[in-house]
Amino acid sequence: MDHLVNINLKINGEDYNLNVKPNTLLLDLIRDEIGLTGTKRGCDTGECGACTVLIDGIAVNSCLLLAAEVDGKSITTIEGLSKDGQLDPLQETFIEEGAVQCGFCTPGMILSAKALLDKNPDPTEEEIKIAIAGNLCRCTGYKKIIQAISSAVIKMRRRK
Amino acid sequence: MKNYFAIGKPLPRVDALEKVTGKAIYGDDLRFSNLLYGKVLRSKYAHAKILNINIDKAKKLPGVRAIVVGKEMSSVLGGEAIMDYPFLAINKVRYVGEPVAAVAAINEEIAEEALDLIEVTYEELPAIFDPLKAMEKDAPLIHENMNSYKHIPVIKPIENSNICHHVQFGNGDTSKGFSESDHVFEDTFTTQMVQHGSIEPHVAIAQYDPTGKITVWVNNDGPHRLRKDLAKAQGVPLKQIRIINPPYIGGGFGGKGGLKEETICIALAQKTQCRPVKILLSREEVFTSTIVRHPSIVKIKTGVKKDGTILAREVKVIYDTGAYAEKGPTVTIQASTAAAGPYKIPHVKVDGYCVYTNKTIAGAYRGYGIPQVAWAHESQMDIIADKLGIDPIEIRLKNILDEEDICPTTRQVMTSIGLKECIEKIKEDSAWNKVHRQNIGRGIACAFKNTKTPSGSATIVKINSDGSAEILTSSIEEGQGVKTILAQILAEELKVPLDNITVSSPDTDLTPFDASSTSSRTTFHMGNAVKKAAEDAKKQILTIASEIFKVGIRDLRIENGKIYAKQNPSKKLSISELITSRYGAGMDIIGRGSYYTEVPGQIGGVRSSQSIFWMYAAHEAEVKVDPETGRVEVLRIRAAHDVGKAINPLTCEGQIDGGVVHGIGPALFEEMIIGKKGEVLNPSFLDYKIPTALDIPEIIPFIIEKHHKEGPYGAKGIGEMTVVPTAAAISNAIYNAIGVRIKDLPITPEKILKAFINQ
Repeated sequence: MDHLVNINLKINGEDYNLNVKPNTLLLDLIRDEIGLTGTKRGCDTGECGACTVLIDGIAVNSCLLLAAEVDGKSITTIEGLSKDGQLDPLQETFIEEGAVQCGFCTPGMILSAKALLDKNPDPTEEEIKIAIAGNLCRCTGYKKIIQAISSAVIKMRRRK
Repeated sequence: MKNYFAIGKPLPRVDALEKVTGKAIYGDDLRFSNLLYGKVLRSKYAHAKILNINIDKAKKLPGVRAIVVGKEMSSVLGGEAIMDYPFLAINKVRYVGEPVAAVAAINEEIAEEALDLIEVTYEELPAIFDPLKAMEKDAPLIHENMNSYKHIPVIKPIENSNICHHVQFGNGDTSKGFSESDHVFEDTFTTQMVQHGSIEPHVAIAQYDPTGKITVWVNNDGPHRLRKDLAKAQGVPLKQIRIINPPYIGGGFGGKGGLKEETICIALAQKTQCRPVKILLSREEVFTSTIVRHPSIVKIKTGVKKDGTILAREVKVIYDTGAYAEKGPTVTIQASTAAAGPYKIPHVKVDGYCVYTNKTIAGAYRGYGIPQVAWAHESQMDIIADKLGIDPIEIRLKNILDEEDICPTTRQVMTSIGLKECIEKIKEDSAWNKVHRQNIGRGIACAFKNTKTPSGSATIVKINSDGSAEILTSSIEEGQGVKTILAQILAEELKVPLDNITVSSPDTDLTPFDASSTSSRTTFHMGNAVKKAAEDAKKQILTIASEIFKVGIRDLRIENGKIYAKQNPSKKLSISELITSRYGAGMDIIGRGSYYTEVPGQIGGVRSSQSIFWMYAAHEAEVKVDPETGRVEVLRIRAAHDVGKAINPLTCEGQIDGGVVHGIGPALFEEMIIGKKGEVLNPSFLDYKIPTALDIPEIIPFIIEKHHKEGPYGAKGIGEMTVVPTAAAISNAIYNAIGVRIKDLPITPEKILKAFINQ
């Protein structure tokens, strides 16, 4: 039997105390043990960005981290982005601008954009492109994704 | 312009909310109790005899629940057109990555460990990686039993060779055409091996029930086709196989059709006392062991008059289909019909060859072989224009097909041709070919693409007693937007809001037949079926209304979900009131619709060289080339597509944007590299680059609507066409920028620099 590691962490605002195997990936913890399947598995090697989550506000590939490494951290997955049924402006503009096709990259894409906008509420187009450069999409050609992020910037500014 | 209720409007996708909130369910998100995990042992050799497989040690590993090897599998071979494919290798392997054995265990780690304990003894055989060598007379045979393989009637294998299919099309007399020409051009263009790059990997879960019925949950693009293939492989009636698609598929592009891990999964599940078995492919397996786009060699010879009129064209195209035919033979057929380009040419001869090599299997890939031939004829079109001193747009306008012209290869009478409009749209920017900034150039390319014909789609439209409605369909949602399009069509017919409608996911026990969600056929075929089902349901509703109102059916109309008597608008009932008043104790209205394409020239009822519709497009690329490094920056692409009618302009534009970028990767950098032993050297997104957000140009889509008389509201298709002209447009722009012509994809900086220095 594997030795288990005890960790405390916050996922989408909820506290968890968990015993995890030392080799459990954060991605597997989120998908299989917490049951949040919005975080996607595309490559398992940190190349596609589909498994992106926010750890203390920073966009990270959850397939490259061990669950045991995130003890004490606060994690946001795509399921945690809307609050009380109110979508995040990014989620709204992804719908409105037609930035979603197959949708498999969408959660990671939105979270990478979220990390950018939380830090830099008025990014240039180049800064947006750089922020999502680690999130691969084969369907959309990125154009409407970039438009959606730009529209979210405007929307957030109006709401302030 | 007809005033539509829901058609032609840029409505947000019906699946977008689920997708942005992470609630959309894909194959790997399905949860099962008592699940076993399947893993596949794959060949390390490109061509070898299997002398022995020893599974004794693996069997003893605690946690292992099932092991299968090729000899235990059904003796039926799989394949779309040629039945050549053993689901696990039997006696020999033909490519690196071929499945040899498989294990199901209580977790993935044990399954992996068990694979390491399986001992396979091989005897290596000479392997062939070059299709030209494979075509030589004395080449070693990759399929020594090819002559005995079953195949569909149109397929013509060349006996005792590695050529599994040779197709010919033609018209007129090319030697006469060449002799009457002022100039004859001969060029050879080549393309590389490309991966679909869907972000979601392939996954299948199979489970037996105690009666022997098999259920497979899988992200396959043709659930009814898969059911038929599996029933044949298992030797059971169709009703014994149930295919359930997860609600969403994370991209396909042709890569998720046919039989892949499904049969292996079933073979394992057969041994697990009704426990479900799941096989989720790794990204490396997706690269090495699913399918790829055919590498190709296209030799093209064209005779023209001084004024640019094309008189004759011969095309010889060789598709390298890898170790098994898969969809290679029909890729070869469909692409050969388009190989001479969308032009009026009196003398044409096309020879298409589909050739086995010991490499990863090639199959369906967005464009179905046509990106390769379009790259050739559109590159050569600019070579001709340059030599004759004619503007590249004008030479195309001079030769393109007009309404009622015949297809140069098949003599099909062509209608609904929006190509002139596409090219004119590009031409509207009058500066198009007159960029004078240094090292910046523009290029154009145009093309056409067919759809598989004949094929059928059926659907049921269910109108509930509250007036809401469901579409039961086997069309898959893989990102192309089918749920939204079908919902818009039903909304249009019933004149009800889009959010009153839901669209099912495929389940072959419940949803009617559909050929497949491929070949850009769904809007046209399933769209027509939904329209017919809606008409059937409407007829039933109007019949009930005519009984209630005591007026004739023709004196009724449906508007905003209500039925009115035309003469007396105060007589009105909502669909809900109508169903309830007729069936007080409850009932649905069931509308049935099916659509099957009827065209001449069918061979064996399976496939016709004529296509029910053709899509047309023209792309213009503007590039900047750095002559010091050979680096190409694509600055802008303008892409005009004739879609017949845009049911949803927003999703149509999305297809164009996405297809353009999907075309840029293979044009400039994507390439699967094969090592000396036949192994894929770059089976990851780290080493096989697909475009990122940093690689994209400005993209300007144009939608051209040339009504198709049989399409729903005039619609045709779009998905595949969007990748077709991009490579040649970029290549022509590079030539325009720095005078370098590359004939081998991808157009890497190394190739440009070498050609530039040698100029």
